[in-house]
Amino acid sequence: MSAPATAVAGTGGEQPQRPPAEVSHAAELAALRAADSDPRPPGWQLSLRAARRFIVGDEKAGITRKFVGNSALVERSLVTLATNRGLMLVGEPGTAKSLLSELIAAAVSGTSALTVQGGAATTEDQIKYSWNYALLVSEGPSPRSLVPAPMLRGMSEGRIVRFEEITRCPLEVQDCLLSLLSDRVIAIPELDGPQGMVFARQGFNVIATANTRDRGVNEMSAALKRRFNFETVFPIADFDTELALVEAEATALLRRSGVEPPPQRDVLEVLVGTFRELRAAAGQAQGERMSTVMSTAEAVSVAHAVGVRGWFLRGEPGNAADVVASLAGTAAKDSPEDLARLRRFLEQEVPRRAGRQWKALHEARHLLAD
Amino acid sequence: MSATTGAEAEACAGASATEAEAIADGSVVLIGVRHHSPACGRLVAEAIASLRPAYVLVEGPADMNERLPELLLGHRLPIAVFSHYRDESRTATSWTPLCDYSPEWIALRDGRAAGAEVRFIDLPAWHPAFAERAGRNSNRYADAEARYAEATRRLCAHFAVDSVDALWDGLFEAAEPSGLAARLEAYFDLVRGDAAADPGDRAREEYMASWIRAARARAGGRPVLVVTGGFHRPALRSALGQEQEHGQEGDGPADWPQVPGPPDGALAGSFLVPYTFRQLDAFSGYQSGMPSPGYYQLLWEKGDPQAAAEGLLRAVTRRLRDRRVPVSTADLIAARGLARGLAQMRGHHSETRVDVLDGLAGALISDDLDSPLPWSAGGGLRAGSHPVVVEMVAACSGDAEGLLHPDTPMPPLVHDVAARLAGLGLADPGQAAAPVALDLTAAPDLARSRFLHRLRVLGIPGFTRVSGPADSADPVFAERWEPGSTSGREAALVEAGVYGARLDEAASVALGERLHAAGTDVGPLAELLFDTVLCGVGALSEELLRGLADQVAHVPEVAPLGEVLASALGLWRHDRVFGVALDGLLGLVVDGAVQRVFWLAEGVHGGPGVDRGRLRALAAARDALLHAPGLLSLTRQDAAAAAARISRDLRAPADLRGAAFGLRWALDAATGGSVATGGTAATADAEAPADDPAAAVRALTSSAPDTLGDWLAGLFALAREEVARGTAAGGGSLVDVVDGVVSAMADDDFLTGLPALRQAFAFFPPRERERIAERLLERRGIQASARSLLRTTADPLLLARAADLEENVARTLDRYGLGAQR
Repeated sequence: MSAPATAVAGTGGEQPQRPPAEVSHAAELAALRAADSDPRPPGWQLSLRAARRFIVGDEKAGITRKFVGNSALVERSLVTLATNRGLMLVGEPGTAKSLLSELIAAAVSGTSALTVQGGAATTEDQIKYSWNYALLVSEGPSPRSLVPAPMLRGMSEGRIVRFEEITRCPLEVQDCLLSLLSDRVIAIPELDGPQGMVFARQGFNVIATANTRDRGVNEMSAALKRRFNFETVFPIADFDTELALVEAEATALLRRSGVEPPPQRDVLEVLVGTFRELRAAAGQAQGERMSTVMSTAEAVSVAHAVGVRGWFLRGEPGNAADVVASLAGTAAKDSPEDLARLRRFLEQEVPRRAGRQWKALHEARHLLAD
Repeated sequence: MSATTGAEAEACAGASATEAEAIADGSVVLIGVRHHSPACGRLVAEAIASLRPAYVLVEGPADMNERLPELLLGHRLPIAVFSHYRDESRTATSWTPLCDYSPEWIALRDGRAAGAEVRFIDLPAWHPAFAERAGRNSNRYADAEARYAEATRRLCAHFAVDSVDALWDGLFEAAEPSGLAARLEAYFDLVRGDAAADPGDRAREEYMASWIRAARARAGGRPVLVVTGGFHRPALRSALGQEQEHGQEGDGPADWPQVPGPPDGALAGSFLVPYTFRQLDAFSGYQSGMPSPGYYQLLWEKGDPQAAAEGLLRAVTRRLRDRRVPVSTADLIAARGLARGLAQMRGHHSETRVDVLDGLAGALISDDLDSPLPWSAGGGLRAGSHPVVVEMVAACSGDAEGLLHPDTPMPPLVHDVAARLAGLGLADPGQAAAPVALDLTAAPDLARSRFLHRLRVLGIPGFTRVSGPADSADPVFAERWEPGSTSGREAALVEAGVYGARLDEAASVALGERLHAAGTDVGPLAELLFDTVLCGVGALSEELLRGLADQVAHVPEVAPLGEVLASALGLWRHDRVFGVALDGLLGLVVDGAVQRVFWLAEGVHGGPGVDRGRLRALAAARDALLHAPGLLSLTRQDAAAAAARISRDLRAPADLRGAAFGLRWALDAATGGSVATGGTAATADAEAPADDPAAAVRALTSSAPDTLGDWLAGLFALAREEVARGTAAGGGSLVDVVDGVVSAMADDDFLTGLPALRQAFAFFPPRERERIAERLLERRGIQASARSLLRTTADPLLLARAADLEENVARTLDRYGLGAQR
């Protein structure tokens, strides 16, 4: 139970399905650390500049770009973490908030494993500490019977703690972060003496993420909000960048699913175009907002589904008809309103666009089941 | 003395590369600048102080050279040289803005003060070399490199910054002053790269080079300082360098090049106009060079980026606190810390504009944003930006307004207005006593009316309209204007001079600005449409109407959109007064609105009730489809298919479903059923004949009897004639079906549905109601007068009292804010 979560990295043998950032990019991190001559904030494994290079990439040094988004956001986030305020990443689901927080934690602290997953059932125990009750009963409260949760560990080790989906936690649970963030200390009243107070070491800070759909960010107390700097993560602004990302991700996913042909670029163009259009309409009028999230991540999963359909059903790359069929299930989910909006887009907007695949998309609109 | 030598030494240290080239080039020093850059301004000032040049040549309209003294009269900056051009095929206006820290302004002022001969050396603004620039209204000092985006994009990627402005600040404005010249040079060499300039730029560069050659020949070895956009510098350098290799130096003609004159029959000129920081600021959507003039003014005045950064922080804080946005001391500490940290991380010598703004945004905004921060995303401030962001951008922009010296010649607009006033036989409002009454159907009066309306949209005091058509449907053909106070008239005219040289031009530019501000707000858009018509639609309003059509396509509400559509269509079909009937540009607005109406209508879901606004919108769309099909990119088949979908959509409100049903019917009837049967559209919806109304009515009554009235109201609003005439398939039977359904209704249902039913049948005029009554009697086999059925037997006095009571209730409800729909 108290085994460190970082053990994942050392076990070797079987490849984990998705290794954490500090494992999958270990070589890059090591190279950056070796070449890093800039001043580091106390407790940090990398300087701010090296951390930025790790995230936004540096072609010359052979560092890949891991986060496609504006670099000022990354810079602001890193600087925030070097101050005494926490970092709050907000945005629509699927805008790579969690990825960004994982990358930052890996760069700054060398581990992204100190993570609290927020949810309706999250309790204070899972945030601060709990007890090994067998030991507690037999020996009484002692450091040995204490089971530290991510916050306590982050503070005592001086590392970044990630708090995912913080707004999904009940308010009262969120508020246990208050003293922790301002006084930087956790009191363990059960333990006597100096052990009863764990002071945060240099390097400790919190990255929280919250999505603007599930529950508003408004459901955070003003006191807690004040202890965070907010950064909004936006969907990718540039069509070509988004298309390239979807293409790369979808190609990789398809290869892993045993689909031979890579996705057709013009079909992906239509798919990404549709996603961007529906996302943009959300900004304009209240009634037009899609309740489903038209995120890049969602576009990748639709592109994946399209390729799988095409290959395993007909033995060819996915086409526009597959896009329509997959959109119904993935993009419109269970909301009839969204389905209607999607249908309206296919009926009214699509015919106005030039291009063979758009035409095919329009003609396949009957596949959007009622 | 020591100050001068210090400056000299610094200039030499900074511009060592330039100096070396100066000697090699035969004493020509080329300084490539970014327009509106204080760092470049400082560089120019230092170069003038150290070189004491004989000639200072500046990128600017050469046709202004004779009037340079006008520029140096002692104005309060910012001002702009406004140039206009007009011939049969082309109209163009352009601005050359100057502010305190513009390198060009400093070259003019300091060059003159140092005893140098100062000249503008670029082609006049009307020259076709500028014609390729986007837009009819252009800015000479917009960034040339913005048109060659590839190089700057690579640079941004290399330095991992998000915008050219952030890159520029870090490299030049907030950097160590030493080595600035060499860095600038390297930067612009890289930006220019091997990109082939477009023919316009090439023509300008050749022309500028010819001036430099002439100056070099005249200077006789004394230094010549040339201040141009950095983008042109590499080309100028190689043009001059090549000659030297061929031993042509000094052989060139010593005469100044000819200033090209406008072609015959064309009208062109340049004048000084007062300018504002708001107009200079790229954030407000103007085509321009550097954003945030307020900040750069501060940077120029303080001379120290750190002091400017602190000044900006203070300005934003003051602005936010004035507007009651809480900014705590803790927030400011956090903002300062962030800004400093960002500057360090980004390798800035001191905090730049973007560092300060990023720091403030990080510390002050504790919400999610709807759109990215404008300084990192580039582009303008988007609608719905966070209020803190809006205030921050405004604080950066500053509110300085230029003021011309009283001796400056008046801008051409002032003369144009005076001449037209006389030409139209209107008295100067200062002397006129009698009101001006105009008959809009008479051509001379219409011209007068347009003139007065143009003055009105420019906000020039003098005449006030007291009566006239209030909107496009108002059948009023007379207008009355009263002369009023003329105080501020002159100043307003000078100010409006910035919009154009002629009144019609100026009015259209001013309306364009209003369009920009209106966004997708329908009220202002409708007003704008009518104002455009009142001012006269011509070639000048093309951009305006295109913009309007664009914006109409984003209006979020169907009912107000319908109003715009109805009035645009009405004008297009019927207007004989303003001369815009069948105007193609107005047609664009109609097309955009029709498409949007269908888009929105298909998305409306909701409960019971009749919304006349949306019914009117659909009716307007029907009229457009029937009477102006040539304008629309939406075909009748597509419209019919959309209508069919709406009419079958169970979540659409009943009135809309009825209206869609009626629309389909009306389209069917108009084309003799061709929509239904002969359509080319491959959709099953459009090919099927219109649904049977009887079935629809029965389905409706069985599921929700109380919505029958709503449905009928929608139907009658769109297809009343078809129902009354019984022309469409099943039209005749509709009354029978409704009669049957209503007779079979339970008493409760009937009472619930009665008001809506009454409302629905109110769409019929008395004669048609009588025919319906006849039919009902016929169905029951009763011989009686149908008319008597329509007459009430109640005592008229009693009815009057009832109406009175109803009115009273409505008023009381209104008083308590419970106003019912009427």
